[in-house]
Amino acid sequence: MSPLRCFLRTPEAVAGAILLAALIAMALSAALLFPGDPQAIAGPALLPPFQDWSLPLGTDRLGRDVLAELFHGARTSLAVGLAAAAAALAIGSVVGTLAGFAGGLVDEVLMRITDAFQTVPGFLLALAFVSVVGPSLGIVVIAIALGTWPGPARVARAEVLSIRERDYVAGARVIGMHPLAIAFREVLPNALPPVLAMSSVIVAAAILTEAALSFLGLGDPNRVTWGGMIAEGRAVLRTAPFLSIVPGIALVLTVLGVYLAGEGIVETTAVRRGLS
Amino acid sequence: MSLLTVSNLTKSYRCGSKTIAAVDDVSFHIDPGETLALAGPSGSGKSTIARLVLRLIEPDAGRIEFEGNDFLALSGAALRARRTRLQMVFQDPLAAFNPRATVARVLDDPLRIHGIAARAERPRRIAALLERVGLTADVAPRAIHEISGGQRQRVAIARAIATKPSLIVLDEAVSALDVSVRGQILELLLDLQRQERIAYVFISHDLGVVRAIAHRVVLLEGGQIAESGDARTVIDAPQSAIGKALVAAAPRLNRIRP
Ligand SMILES: Nc1ncnc2c1ncn2[C@@H]1O[C@H](COP(=O)(O)OP(=O)(O)OP(=O)(O)O)[C@@H](O)[C@H]1O
Ligand SMILES: [Mg+2]
Repeated sequence: MSPLRCFLRTPEAVAGAILLAALIAMALSAALLFPGDPQAIAGPALLPPFQDWSLPLGTDRLGRDVLAELFHGARTSLAVGLAAAAAALAIGSVVGTLAGFAGGLVDEVLMRITDAFQTVPGFLLALAFVSVVGPSLGIVVIAIALGTWPGPARVARAEVLSIRERDYVAGARVIGMHPLAIAFREVLPNALPPVLAMSSVIVAAAILTEAALSFLGLGDPNRVTWGGMIAEGRAVLRTAPFLSIVPGIALVLTVLGVYLAGEGIVETTAVRRGLS
Repeated sequence: MSLLTVSNLTKSYRCGSKTIAAVDDVSFHIDPGETLALAGPSGSGKSTIARLVLRLIEPDAGRIEFEGNDFLALSGAALRARRTRLQMVFQDPLAAFNPRATVARVLDDPLRIHGIAARAERPRRIAALLERVGLTADVAPRAIHEISGGQRQRVAIARAIATKPSLIVLDEAVSALDVSVRGQILELLLDLQRQERIAYVFISHDLGVVRAIAHRVVLLEGGQIAESGDARTVIDAPQSAIGKALVAAAPRLNRIRP
């Protein structure tokens, strides 16, 4: 059975894939459908949804187009979520591989550093980092990655510890390969599958963390973010709840979609590995 | 002068509170172009000796002299450079290669690492190596798991001879192969030895095979040498208790080429 057919057999995975596809479509079409600044004033303030079809989801307190903001916010969420997860996975696999492969003192030191990062709650770490360095998209990505990499590092290390005892690693040493080349060319690629299996959870968590940072006003001020939109809507929660509810629903669906699609992919690859 | 001289090699492992002497005061030597077999029951320390000789693990005590130099004194880049002369073939050829590798990459590695051939020339060298071990160049792009066990072991031998070693350690290198393939691989090894004067440390529990291809044999038991000497003499008339037991347990001994 082809991997795609196998993937599409589980309804959860299909639902996840559809949600994720919708999100990606939103992010990619944002600049086309809503050119210009989404933070510009587009109509009367606090227009409720479904009243004016040129502003289908209405406007916020300042008269900005909620739908445009939603589309542009999808870009930020997706970009930050993917970049932070990629950074966390990359740092985690490199640290975990070095620790597991080198062993001894290097392992001790790297794992104590990992412990230190893991004992501080990731969100607090991100919060502190952004407040000190200042909010911008790149800083938010680094801040989220900083609290996320210890998980992948532990998984990578555990996998490397078992792989390094295999004959092919001894074989690489016998032909005189440099230890770093063995670690990163021979061992790391084979240690990746369980690390990558964590990516859906990590992307979902990164999107939520970004939203939380923006909600607290620590997102990039030059970009629309869903967290920022929710925070904006808070002031008029009684009179115009849709301003918080719309981006909230978008956030929930996105996290759900990423998670379900990711689990579907993991399931599919696990089944295929089991078969082969 | 002998090629490899191992003296008083000792290695023990801690297992909970007690220590197991995996290799206990073992000494032997190999001459250029010679085949020395290490035989003995399971757990007698054969693989541990192989790993010690290849510097995959470090001994607790003893000396290893290889090509006239103190092999244990080498480290880092000097050790990696010297590894060209001392190669190994593992028992399970599937486990001995990176599961993601192709045949070409496996053979390219030693040529690249030691600067044996320029990049442009390497495909030709790989084809020549494959031919040398009785394969055709069209297996080069195949993945390691896409070729047969016998072909894989030929690739392992091709990789071992790529750096023109003077000694190859074969740890149960033919044990996982079925009988007809085993015969072909042994033929290939004998042929390589005749042409390139490569010495072998041939680890096996099959005394029939040992008798057929080894010049001398060292019988091990519990990490110690129980008996050693000319392969046929020892196997035809073992003196030690373990030697007698091993010979008695070898079923096909008399049917292998005398
Ligand atoms: N890494 C290790 N840790 C602990 N004990 C070990 C280790 N490696 C080997 N040993 C022990 O050392 C002894 C010798 O093992 P070795 O693998 O050298 O035997 P062998 O002769 O190769 O056996 P076989 O024919 O089964 O391959 C055994 O008792 C084994 O349990
Ligand atoms: Mg063994």
